[in-house]
Amino acid sequence: MTTPDPDAAREAIEYCYEQGWTDGLPVIPATEELVEQFLAHTSRPPDEVLWRMEHLERECTVHTAAINAVMAGCLPEYFPLVLAAWDAVMRDRAAKGGGWQSTSGPAPLIVINGPIRHELEINCTGGIFAAGFRPNATIPRALGLMLRNAFGLVPHVFDQTTQGIPGRWAICFGENEEESPWEPLATEMGLAPGTNALSATLTRTYEFVDNRHTQDPEQLLNDFADTLSRTGSLIFRGQSCGVVFCPEHAQMLAGAGMSKAEVKDWFVEHVGRTETDLRRAGKDGISDSGPGARSASEAERAPADTFTPYFTAGKDVPIIVAGARNAAISMVFRVFGEWSNSSVEIEAAPVAATKGG
Amino acid sequence: MICSDAFKTTADAMAGVQGAPGYQYLTTPHPVAGLTPEQVRERAQDVVDEVARLLAR
Repeated sequence: MTTPDPDAAREAIEYCYEQGWTDGLPVIPATEELVEQFLAHTSRPPDEVLWRMEHLERECTVHTAAINAVMAGCLPEYFPLVLAAWDAVMRDRAAKGGGWQSTSGPAPLIVINGPIRHELEINCTGGIFAAGFRPNATIPRALGLMLRNAFGLVPHVFDQTTQGIPGRWAICFGENEEESPWEPLATEMGLAPGTNALSATLTRTYEFVDNRHTQDPEQLLNDFADTLSRTGSLIFRGQSCGVVFCPEHAQMLAGAGMSKAEVKDWFVEHVGRTETDLRRAGKDGISDSGPGARSASEAERAPADTFTPYFTAGKDVPIIVAGARNAAISMVFRVFGEWSNSSVEIEAAPVAATKGG
Repeated sequence: MICSDAFKTTADAMAGVQGAPGYQYLTTPHPVAGLTPEQVRERAQDVVDEVARLLAR
């Protein structure tokens, strides 16, 4: 291999900037040959429409997705995961209903299960929310570029994000199945154990729970419940929040005899706030889905000690195990709308692609 | 159409996508979400004459 010409590379990258194709970081210029290599990793036809936004009269095909996956810095073998990520997140009702243009600027959370995590060297352990791993960084970035370049969701115009969240196009990791005491997420969602699968949902924010302070599972769960019960994130009475447990926290709960379903049930029962708390934050008037963003009037108010649970059932509390054993630090995340509670099988590359590279 | 004035850029772009660049619409001051029903009625009063004018064009 001859040494690449850095000046020519710079020129091609600047050309992409001038066309408005980047998210602010440099992109890989997409040649037809490179795009073809990506398309060889799926059996889906290039002209298949992945999604059409009727109100914008724009759509994204498999071919357009491949171009943006190239630009994001993916390798060709990541392309089936980009397609699966798109399919998985578009199962969210909110994503179909205009969520991508929301003033909250939600971020897709992408979780990968199965042996493909090791084959593609997808990070599942230390630094899952940090940088340093190519598939983790580029697969979600491809989605961001698809939205920008295929649908024209450019900030300040059709992307109406108020502030957004840090790392909006960078939240993708494998579940740490090897150190999880529970069944993998995709197995819980009904796929056969060992299936290469991907789960995704739109999320609004992430907050850590650092608890190396107790060996009592009830105390640990109460610490999580406090973070899960924040009033700031409430828009409607019902909401969905998940936990990415570090292995240590998950093993502690499992060691106390709790299944994943039992942890979820505990959260359903204990996560929420009293009317006094909601009133203090001006959120005592909010309803299950409709009219109320404003505080309640005197006539509408419920008794001060009424407890409002945030979740209706375990489906509202997705649980994932990922990260390293380094410390007892987990992450709470807030789902933008409602997770589909399903996983998408990742297509195996056609034989020709695996032979040809 | 009436939108809050924070969304003028998006509304103008949307008019272009729909093949109606320069489409006339009305704005009301942002924000709207936290208003009481009475304040919403006041907002409606503020724009009702303009609504009639636009509809009569």
